[in-house]
Amino acid sequence: MSGLGLLNSDSKPLPADDEAAANTRQWHLASETEYRFELDPNSSLAIKLVHGQAEIFGAELAEGNTYVFGLECKAAVYTWQGCTIEVTGQPSTEYVSEETPMQVYANLVLALEQMRVRALRAFHGSPPSSEEGPDPDPDPQPPRVLVLGPGNSGKTTLSKMLINYAVRMGQSWNPVLVNVDPGEGGWAAPGAISAATITSPIQTSTPASTFGSAATSAPAHLTSNALLPLAYWYGHAETRRNPLLMDRLIRNLGENIWERWDNDLGGRVAGLIVDTPSSFAASSGPNGDHRHALIKACVDAFRINVILIVGHEKLNVEMQRAYGNRIAVVKIPKSGGVVELDPSYRERARKHQLHNYMYGRIIPPPPGLPPTNVLQGGEQTPDLTLNLAPSSSIVAFGDLTLYRIGEETMAPTSALPIGATRVVSEMQPLLVDPAQPGSGLYNAVLALLAPPNPDESERYDEEMLDLPVVGFLVITTLDIPNKRMTVLAPTQGSLVGRTAIVGSIEWQE
Amino acid sequence: MSLYPQPASPAFGQMAYASQPYSQPMLPQAAYHYPAAVQPVFHVDSNMFRRDYMARLAELTVNSRPIIQNLSMIAQEYSRFAEIVAQCIESHIRRVLPWMKLPAFYLLDAISKNVFDPYARQFTPLVVRLFLDTYEQVDQNTRSKMEEMLLTWRTGAPTGRELFGVVPQVAIERHIWGGEATQSAASSSRHTAGSSSISTAQVLSELEFVLSQKERSVVANPYDKMAQNHVAVLQQLRKLVQAGVSQEELGQILTQLRALAQPASVPPQLTPAPIPTQSYPTQMPYPSPAPPAPFPGPVEQPTYPLPSAYSAPSYNVPKSEPVNLSGLLAPQSLPVQPTPPSVNPPISTLAPMNSITNLYNALLKAGVVGATGTPTGAGASAKVEECRPSDPVRDAIRDHRKAILAQKIKLTSADITRQRSNIVDFLYNRLPSQCKQCGIRFPDGPKGKKHMEDHLDMHFRQNRKAGQAVGRGYSRSWLISMEDWIHDGSVDVKGKGRADGRILSSSAAAAVEAAKREAELQAQYVVVPPGDEAKSISCPICKEPLKSEFNEDDEEWVWRNSVKRDDKIYHATCHAEATASKSTLASRLRNEVSSSRSRSRTPEKQQVRTPPKVLVPLSEESKKSAPSSPSTPVGTKRKADDADGPGTQDSKSDVPPLKKQALSV
Ligand SMILES: [Zn+2]
Ligand SMILES: [Zn+2]
Repeated sequence: MSGLGLLNSDSKPLPADDEAAANTRQWHLASETEYRFELDPNSSLAIKLVHGQAEIFGAELAEGNTYVFGLECKAAVYTWQGCTIEVTGQPSTEYVSEETPMQVYANLVLALEQMRVRALRAFHGSPPSSEEGPDPDPDPQPPRVLVLGPGNSGKTTLSKMLINYAVRMGQSWNPVLVNVDPGEGGWAAPGAISAATITSPIQTSTPASTFGSAATSAPAHLTSNALLPLAYWYGHAETRRNPLLMDRLIRNLGENIWERWDNDLGGRVAGLIVDTPSSFAASSGPNGDHRHALIKACVDAFRINVILIVGHEKLNVEMQRAYGNRIAVVKIPKSGGVVELDPSYRERARKHQLHNYMYGRIIPPPPGLPPTNVLQGGEQTPDLTLNLAPSSSIVAFGDLTLYRIGEETMAPTSALPIGATRVVSEMQPLLVDPAQPGSGLYNAVLALLAPPNPDESERYDEEMLDLPVVGFLVITTLDIPNKRMTVLAPTQGSLVGRTAIVGSIEWQE
Repeated sequence: MSLYPQPASPAFGQMAYASQPYSQPMLPQAAYHYPAAVQPVFHVDSNMFRRDYMARLAELTVNSRPIIQNLSMIAQEYSRFAEIVAQCIESHIRRVLPWMKLPAFYLLDAISKNVFDPYARQFTPLVVRLFLDTYEQVDQNTRSKMEEMLLTWRTGAPTGRELFGVVPQVAIERHIWGGEATQSAASSSRHTAGSSSISTAQVLSELEFVLSQKERSVVANPYDKMAQNHVAVLQQLRKLVQAGVSQEELGQILTQLRALAQPASVPPQLTPAPIPTQSYPTQMPYPSPAPPAPFPGPVEQPTYPLPSAYSAPSYNVPKSEPVNLSGLLAPQSLPVQPTPPSVNPPISTLAPMNSITNLYNALLKAGVVGATGTPTGAGASAKVEECRPSDPVRDAIRDHRKAILAQKIKLTSADITRQRSNIVDFLYNRLPSQCKQCGIRFPDGPKGKKHMEDHLDMHFRQNRKAGQAVGRGYSRSWLISMEDWIHDGSVDVKGKGRADGRILSSSAAAAVEAAKREAELQAQYVVVPPGDEAKSISCPICKEPLKSEFNEDDEEWVWRNSVKRDDKIYHATCHAEATASKSTLASRLRNEVSSSRSRSRTPEKQQVRTPPKVLVPLSEESKKSAPSSPSTPVGTKRKADDADGPGTQDSKSDVPPLKKQALSV
């Protein structure tokens, strides 16, 4: 495919076809079935659509192209009308399933699309035609969907599919995808919550970029690989660690989305999809309290009008009771393809994500396939564009101001009644002195904040809680005697005079 | 399905494609001209290149735009091997079966038009024989495709001139359209009394070409009434010609067609040197020595058209007769195209323009124009339903809405599990055109077609850029500011729509800016001191060697992408990057990440967001306890109080449809 294959041609003979052949087999998929696979940590897989139509989580594959997957990717190639695929590599698990909830998802997609076209019609001020019938709602709103579900229920996959189908309707919809799962991190880094406008289908390739990627200086073939999300830094993977901060950041995100839509009513009619952490659905246990507040924060901030509950009867009842009178609460079956993931997998995925953020990540194709002519995440020349050079620089302690939000060692909130004195310190920025032993800065991931208001009179104490993130940094060495540290940044730029926030996310290459 | 040429669009969509790169605002033209120099990393020898290129050409068996684009891109990047590319393409065309020849010709066409130098001049010596030999061997359908392509070559050079020069152009045209059939309007008119023979086929061919141009304008701008009228009249004219008209009328039609067909960007040719008919103007479209006359045709034939014949209808008597076809085609009496002053004094025996009344009468007879003869009748009286694309965008939206609302699905747990939807219709059947590179689909119809073409061009540009990593390579960008995030949706309104018609994201805008800056940096050079040509110098920043190359314009050796600072020579790109990193991050961000800001931001808005709602008791609490916050305005600047949930919020957002909007429906 790529015209740049030449560049690698200096020495390498074409790989032996035998090797690829031995490693390759074809699958003929009947209509409405899917080929599911799971990969081991160090293997990769290549899938080529030989014939027919196929899609991965709603993103269509182009016939004849070879797509590569890696880093323990678990995914499924679904076909509405049947297809033949060629699979190269050795997955740890692979099988074809005829039991999928795709028909239900399709109905859901169409129901949401109805909301969009009605909202657009109202936006244009066109009256419904006679055959369309009167609008059931005098003020039709586009879908603003909150996806809830327990861990390993496929929330993220569903969110991705809903977005992908929306942008595939051929209507130039540009819906907003919101990720409020700080454990997932979205396009930013774990510890962040973020939102981005999506205009091209999000590809699946590795768990390091589940929702596509934030922009790089390299050209990208799909806008979903060059996203410029708006991100806020929460700093922890678990929502229970500081629910009040979560609450505030969620509302920040929502407010900015609405302000954006005030300027872009055309964009507003595409709506939004919010993917949430599984803790929102954890109905029992010591952390049950904060989740209602956070769900409420989402409903308010994003003006949710559809709540989808993936595979969780009790939560469904709960949400019907709380919101059923004003919001469509819909129960969605869970896909049988969803795999139970152990916590260490999540941990590894976070690590991959940060590596991918800094260095990019090229998945070597399985043995037998040439390194060129494969698509990774839809990109045609991954060897050129997915290989990134971060910047490592030495920074004097005083040059970068570091804060932590809330006390350094905080007892679980559950130990305290909500609203008790503890909450004050939960929201309070505390200066971190790198010279102090035990600062916890070594290998810490920091969020570099946007500059504060240049107008002093506009400033306020907790301003930094409301500043979005411009990038993520990692402290790779801490030289206390000389009062300096080495900071890894995604790209070049002076950090002097800037502010960064530390959380509990760490990363080591 | 062949994506590259839709059967309905002649010259494989190359008209838009070919005319864009030179005026494409997103793509500095300069970027086309120094590709070889920016490849310091890769060492490919010519044999290897030849082998690889031949192998890739072998894949070009069908009309695949992606393959053609990739091959063009390689040609562009390796323009130092232009000769090899030309040889490969020629031998490929000669070797393959007739039905595989056309795609390779499209490649030749694409490379020549888009890269132009040095390719056009590489092909010039061989294009006539190659074209004619191929023409002999292919079927009628392919021939007409080749003729369409040939017509685009008339104005295919960046200057709007003949792509391969006037001599090859005329040589080919004479050969395939016979005798003097390719004469300019002027000369053919001159011959109307005598021996002239303009074939109906030729006129139809040119007519199709102009028609497709006009149809494209309608696609690009559905509100272009003039183009709509043109389309209507041309369609009628086609029927007329097919039905059979006289030689004289054919000549007149041809004249008018050429007037209509000229590109808008033809630079005025200001040298009215009286040229003897036999000689050619010296301005070849490129500064190479004129190639040896490749077509040893009868040189004594003195009626080669003058160059202007291709770009301008060169009558001298414009006021003699108001009723001509261009008047007909432009009922509002707007000039159809700026008519450049003619280069040559047209032949004095030029038939008086009032002979166009014959044509007009013919049109009248055929019922194309109203009997009143008012020019305004032309567009209106043409069969409206046939040619007026009312409003394709609105129609498409309405159509989609109708189909979607016809689905009787309610958003309830029970309903969505009960139904069986026909979602395949919406995801596949209604979007029949698919990008073979990324799988994205497009609807049929003019708008979808346009989106898809722009989309493919985007791939082409991205592919080309991907190979041009400079200095230390690529890196993750900083995220944009909140203001830019909020406002990037409105960039579109300011007229900076992205090529594929979607809203220009800040990242795309930033990429455009970055590409521009990079092109500027790459264009900088330092002259190599005499004697130092062989010396190897490395950039002090990245340690990569600086690449020297011969600058043909100034005839001297230069280091490309270089600047000299304090007696040291750096890569311009490395130096710029290093300098930028010295400045503050903030200014860097301003420069690099957010190119859209100045356009869209309101000045009074600043970085700081209003503090969002926090639970009120909490705010009170934090105010009391925070040591230095007597003036903390928590909650006071908030714009919307959303404590009441969605209901009240929605009323706030129910602003009436704005003047400012991305969707123009
Ligand atoms: Zn594409
Ligand atoms: Zn350098």
